[in-house]
Formats: sequence, structure tokens, C-alpha cells
Amino acid sequence: MGERPVVLALDQNRRNLELLAQFLDREGYELRGVSDLEELDRALEQPCQFSVALLDLTGFDERVWERAERLHEEGVPFLLISRRVGAKGLQEGLTRGAGGVLQKPLRIQELLILIRSLSEG
Amino acid sequence: MVDERRVSTGVAGLDEILRGGLLQGRSYLVRGGPGTGKTTLGLQYLAAGVAEGEKALFISLTEPTRSIKGNARSMGIDLEGVEFLDLSPTPDFFVQVESYDLFSPAEVERQPMTEQIVNRVEELQPDRVFVDSMSQFRYLATDPFQYRKQVVSFLRFLADHDATVLFASEASREAPDEDLQFLSDGVIELEAGPNGRTLRVIKFRGSDYRGGIHSISISDQGLRVYPKLLPAEYGRRFEPEQVSSGVAEIDHLLHGGLERGTITIITGPSGTGKTTLGLTFMQEAARRGERSVVYSFEEEVEVLRARSEAIGIPVGGMLEQGTLSVVKIEPLEYTPDQFAQMVRTEVEQKGTRIVMLDSITGYKLALRGGDLVAHVHALTKYMANMGVTVLLVNEVETIAGGEFRITDVGISYLGDNIIFFRYLELRGQLLKAVGVLKKRFSDFEKAMREFTITEHGIEIGAPLTNLRGILTGVPYWVGGQDEEG
Repeated sequence: MGERPVVLALDQNRRNLELLAQFLDREGYELRGVSDLEELDRALEQPCQFSVALLDLTGFDERVWERAERLHEEGVPFLLISRRVGAKGLQEGLTRGAGGVLQKPLRIQELLILIRSLSEG
Repeated sequence: MVDERRVSTGVAGLDEILRGGLLQGRSYLVRGGPGTGKTTLGLQYLAAGVAEGEKALFISLTEPTRSIKGNARSMGIDLEGVEFLDLSPTPDFFVQVESYDLFSPAEVERQPMTEQIVNRVEELQPDRVFVDSMSQFRYLATDPFQYRKQVVSFLRFLADHDATVLFASEASREAPDEDLQFLSDGVIELEAGPNGRTLRVIKFRGSDYRGGIHSISISDQGLRVYPKLLPAEYGRRFEPEQVSSGVAEIDHLLHGGLERGTITIITGPSGTGKTTLGLTFMQEAARRGERSVVYSFEEEVEVLRARSEAIGIPVGGMLEQGTLSVVKIEPLEYTPDQFAQMVRTEVEQKGTRIVMLDSITGYKLALRGGDLVAHVHALTKYMANMGVTVLLVNEVETIAGGEFRITDVGISYLGDNIIFFRYLELRGQLLKAVGVLKKRFSDFEKAMREFTITEHGIEIGAPLTNLRGILTGVPYWVGGQDEEG
């Protein structure tokens, strides 16, 4: 078995990251979880090795959009996750290059399908 | 299908309602509100399995093992050998739920739970499983369709492992459990109503069962069911012979005595000697070595004994011999089904041949709930089918005169025989008279006779054939014997 694809996830909530790591591990992914923007920046400074990124917007302000744009520039497909997703939020996310905007709570199966399709595409 | 193996429920009376028990390898729903006895039923079911050398597994989704064991102990249920899979939430669950929001708790919790169940069932291979309660799975499903699918596949998984499953559900208006009723092979419903606790079987695939509402009790003896008495289900062969009273004149009034398997209403005002007449039949039965029982709803055993012995009926001796049992029934002590169960034990296990209910009014006041005429009907018909001579004591309010009525409670239609007492005012004195109003299986003497109780027992006078207007209570002589009274 070769290198496992790595998923980068930004989430303020540690428990969310733990659960995500468990589910992804079972599906053959490795998780690189970060819980604030500085940590995210440090992760992105290294040569890019991420297949997919997940950004949980809960608890972050507009500064998170800069990171979204950066991911887009570096060619890392990413999903936005939010507590509430309206038409406006969806529009905003998609114009910044998101592969999709998901509303919490997520369905595990659906999330895995999206990650697989984005990482392979 | 015909010879499916039955699995005992471990609950006295319930197997009888289920015609022998649950069918092996199937799954049954036990439903009811809080405190109706669902868990108790499940515990007894598992304990009964262990007693038969089977493997039993309790899957708890709500209550921790420690508290289940504590409750079982207080009800005298031995859980030695019963295996537990405790999936009830731990205290830190609360903290954890608070701390994540990316996935729904349903998705996060379900998988580990399912894995634990599968592992445990495969490792133990239980014969009996009790799930308390299935309703919990509802909250772990994302939608009703998923829930239904999960329950079906869970039950099928257990059936594949040859387990007979009992699963509890709490039904409420917010979360009805109709879906579970459809998915199970049978439904047992428990209820705690104002007239006591009840049990009802609503569905039982592949078998007949006894319908209707049966009363149950939960005590330190555990849960017990008192199957509703259906007289038609009972019967035995008996000689249709007559039972003598031991008093020649009474036998004469009845043209021989009372037949076995008949119901006799002894009716009359207070203090006329109705109970004494019944005891006279019992005294004679004791002489033949037969057992009788008096269910006394008003009089204390000691009072009955003392006053009977004062008139020459040796109640004390009969009690000692075991040819008589006097049972005082305290108000609200039993439901009609529980009372019927007690009578059945007397009739079926102790061979009792004469039973007296003293009195019908007392029965109505002492037993709780339901249509009491229907209960008296079922109980007395059952006894008659079993060849018991049934005596129903009925007290009427009228002392003398007034409108003549047989009973005040609408049960006269039950009587194969009716013996009645009247007070008569004759020459300024109060006399008692006894007569027969109806006798289904033989002719009887149509005249009334004077009835007195002395220290030697009952004494009956000659037929009062020259009296007229007896039923008015103020009769007069005819035929020149005496003047009008």
C-alpha cells in the first residue's frame, strides 16, 4: 500500500477533528487537522501534499476567505462546511472556488463520497 | 409450523394466555408506558431461560446494568447466569455530545453500538435476548425509513442466530410505535390504569392466544398474570348427583338436594340464616370427606367460626381437618382476575366441591373495577363447569313486605336454583320462612316453611300451606286453623 491521501481540515472544534480522523482513517485517508488560521497557514507553507481540504466556517470571520482563495490558487479542491447554508452563502462559497458548501450535521456517507470524488478528480 | 417449539416466558399465567409460550426463534414486542412492567417481564423471561440451561442476553440501551440488577433483586428475580450488554449512555456522553457538531450524534453513536451488539451476539450465541428498549434506536436513525430498516435487519440478525427475542418499546403520542408492532411476530401490551395493572396480547403470529384484558400484579414475587376466566375453556366430567344438606326438611324442599355443577342463589334480608344454610351443606360435605370454601367479604373468620359453633356447626374442626377453608377478602385487595385465579387453585388443585361467595354485594364492593356482573358470571359458570356446587349469598334490603325482589344486583339470571328467605309478621311476632323459587334440574316443594336456628342447627317447620300472602310479609291464616295475624 502506497502513501495514503491526506485530507486537510480546519475546525475550531477538537472533537469534530477527532471524529473526522476516525471516519477518514477507516476509508484509507489520513487527516491533517488544524484548529485555527495560524496553524492552517503553517500547514500550507509546506509543499502542498493535500488531496482535499475541508473548512468548517463555524467560529471564523472573513479572514478565512483569504485561505479559501489560497487553496484555490494552489489547486487543492475544498469543501466549505457551515451551520446554515443559504443561497447567498452557497453563491459566495462557489465563487471562491469551493467544490461544495455543506450544512451541518453532515452525513458521513455523503461526505466520504464527495471527498473521494474531489480527490480523484 | 404446527410443531414449533414453545419458549416459556417465565411469567406465571402468561404462558397459559400464549397457549404454551412464545414461538422459538421469533421476536416479540412488549409495549407500554413507564412503570408498566416491561423490564420486569424481560428479566423474568431471561431468568427462565437460564433456569432451563439456555443462554440469555440483556441488551440495555437506557439503564445501567447495576441498577437493573438492583431492581431485579428487589423483586426476587435471580439474574445469575444472565449476560448483560450495557449500551446505556455513560456520564461523559453528555459532555461529548456538547462538544461536536460536525455529525449528528445518531451517526456517530450508531456504529460502535451496532458493532458491540454484533460482537456480543456472535460470541455468546444467546437463545434468548431482551432489548430494552428498541425505541432508543429510533433516535439513532436519520429518518423513519432508516429506522425501520435497521430494526428489521437487527431482528433478522438475531433470528439468524436462533434467538427468541423480546424487545421493549415506550409508546408515546410524540413517538408512536405502530411500526414496531408491524415488524414483530407478536405484541404484548402492558398498562397501568385506574383499575389496576393489565396485560393484553394484541398479536401472536402462528398461534392461537387468549384475547381480552388480563390483570397482572407486580410485587416482590415479580410479575404475575391472572388470565381472564373463560368458562367455556374449562370443564370436567362429574356425576350429576345431588348434594344433601344433611337436614331432611331442606332436602325435602329441594326434592333431594342441590345438584353438582349448579349455581344456587340464597337470597333474603339480613340475619335470616343464609350463611348458616350454606354452611349446613358444607358440614354435610365435610362428613363425606369433601372440601368446601367460603369467601367471606364482610364477616371475619373468627366471628363466623364462633357463631357457627354456637349453633352446632363445627367450623373450627372442619378448618383443622381441611374440609373447610374460610377466606376473608379485604376490600380492594384483589382484582376480579386475581380472585378468579385463587378460586381456580382451590378447585383445580385442592379439589374443592362447594364454594360459597358471601356475599355478592360484598364481592362487588371489594373487588376493583370492570363489569362485575360479567365477572361473577364467568367465575360461577367456570365453577359449575368444573362440577362445583356454587352458593351465592345475596342480601336484599327489604326486611318484610314491600316489593318482592330476588336480588338487587341483577344476577338472578345466573341462578340454576333460587332459595329465598322472608321475614313474616304473624300474631305480632317476627318469623323466618324459607322457600324455593326455582330449581332447574328437579321439581321442588312449592310451599314455604318456617325456619329457625337453634343451638343444634337449623330447624325447619312443616309447610306453611295454610298461610296466604306470604310474599307481602304480612300473611294471614286460612282454613280455620287460626285467626288472621
